[in-house]
Amino acid sequence: MKPDEKVVPFYFGPPDKRLFACYHEPPLERRRQCAVVVCQPVGHEYINSHRALRQLASRLCDAGFPVLRFDYYGCGDSSGNAEEGRIPQWLEDISTAISEVRRRAGAVQICLIGLRVGGALAMMAVAERADLENLVLWDPVVSGKRYLDGLLRLRKEMLRFRPKPSSTQETLDYVDVLGFPLSRFLQAELKNINLSAIGWSSAKNVLVIQTDQMSDEVDLQEHLSQMDARFEYQRLDAPQIWFPTSDGSLVVPRQILHSIVSWTSRVHP
Amino acid sequence: MREEAVFFGEVKSLIGIVTDPPSRNGNHYKPAIILLNPGIVHRVAPGRIYVRIARALAAMGFVVLRFDFSGIGDSPVRYDNLPFDKSTVRETQDAMHFLQTTRGAERFILMGGCSGARVSLQTASCDPRVVGAFLINLQMSEHDDQSSDQISRTAAFYYWNFALFNLKSWCKLLTGTADYRKILRALGFQARRQLPSARKMPPESVQLAAKLRMLAERGVCVAFLYAESDPRLNDLREALGRELRQLRALARVRVEIIPRSDHNFSSLHDQDKLLKKICELIDAITPAAADATIHQRQDWLPRLVEAPTQHGGK
Repeated sequence: MKPDEKVVPFYFGPPDKRLFACYHEPPLERRRQCAVVVCQPVGHEYINSHRALRQLASRLCDAGFPVLRFDYYGCGDSSGNAEEGRIPQWLEDISTAISEVRRRAGAVQICLIGLRVGGALAMMAVAERADLENLVLWDPVVSGKRYLDGLLRLRKEMLRFRPKPSSTQETLDYVDVLGFPLSRFLQAELKNINLSAIGWSSAKNVLVIQTDQMSDEVDLQEHLSQMDARFEYQRLDAPQIWFPTSDGSLVVPRQILHSIVSWTSRVHP
Repeated sequence: MREEAVFFGEVKSLIGIVTDPPSRNGNHYKPAIILLNPGIVHRVAPGRIYVRIARALAAMGFVVLRFDFSGIGDSPVRYDNLPFDKSTVRETQDAMHFLQTTRGAERFILMGGCSGARVSLQTASCDPRVVGAFLINLQMSEHDDQSSDQISRTAAFYYWNFALFNLKSWCKLLTGTADYRKILRALGFQARRQLPSARKMPPESVQLAAKLRMLAERGVCVAFLYAESDPRLNDLREALGRELRQLRALARVRVEIIPRSDHNFSSLHDQDKLLKKICELIDAITPAAADATIHQRQDWLPRLVEAPTQHGGK
């Protein structure tokens, strides 16, 4: 973080569902007319990518963008229990975060940047609203079913060198993925995610960054290129930061952060 | 209970969350609890376990602060070149000062996983305001997480303590489906550890023993909490040996093992067991809190999801 960057941590939102956020406030003389809302991943992916997204926010702020990083209900420092996480609630949280950043920054334009499930939520939010013009999808979850399968595979792999939990420890109500409960309701909602079938009317500029070789990658590219938005696709050879590392380190992919900041700065000079 | 985002520290750059109990009536005498970053993971911790711990302890009437050291999570880096082992102790003291000023706390229990445990111990050793230290999976050496042997070590510990007694593992070994390369590497690691040069008591162990004796004399409660499958548990036993038994006999040092858990407590069941153990220990060392039983605090344990709820969604 640069010495002149101001980061304000605070809670916002309805009293029964307080959300935690950090607002990165650039100096007034450098402030651009577009504010950024960072839509984080969930579960262990949120923990593993926090460092990178914090640095992304810092770099965007240094480039003059007011940035709001926030935790969804039941995630991170926000109120609620982890098993209460639901997609409709998280979409509502994104709307609350957009109102909050508009109130603080006074910015008219908003850019949503989403990683993994955050990318899927950002795209769903854009599809539902008419006032979001810019979208960055960083390795978004394109197929929810594929994402769930991946989580279960990872869970199996992580259980290899540890005592196995007894079968009675899990219930039908949730699946435990690395210490995060995935309720059956959330599983059903995640399964329904299919970004290649989402349309929108408002987005004008879209950047997709992909590090993950996906079977449905082409579908998403074709889908986005058929829309009216100016669409840019970048395939980058960078680490997939949301996976746990063997030594517990948290990876920050500079190349991706640089790409996002330079694209956002180009779109909002 | 109320959660508040706070700034504190020399230049108000440290960011944290204070979880206040629902009511402070009658709780003013209780020590405040500070949770320290587990490694470089931010104050939420793997599996969001710090959030659960903070809420559970606040429900018991404690003020709890979890914050990020400089350069970790949301707190910016320091610009004074103070080494990490010194800056973390100073920042923990800043946290105590903050709670003293804003919540009137005068005594503190420090708690942390991994490197957070080291900082808890170091701060407890040099600050008389600390009355308790909960050291979760304490690493004996500052650099053991970076060791290239870490994976072999974890695997060796697993094979020796768990797979050896598991019928399924033997079946895999005998049917050719086991990872033989990994097993050989783990056996090699175990053999190297038996060499006399590897068994010499490192200076860290001597220092740790001295610190524990000093803390015991000062009346500080030190609790080591280890996941059963964490190889660091062996390190502690090897490092302190008989000394540890003597210290435990003084009843100021406890060693608690969380059964069938791993280093990160990476299942909800592991987390429940850790949380329950922490609450029991806190009850034990702060007897005035004993009126609230574990049973009454079920609200912060994982709940079964009973029915779909409408969140005004899209």
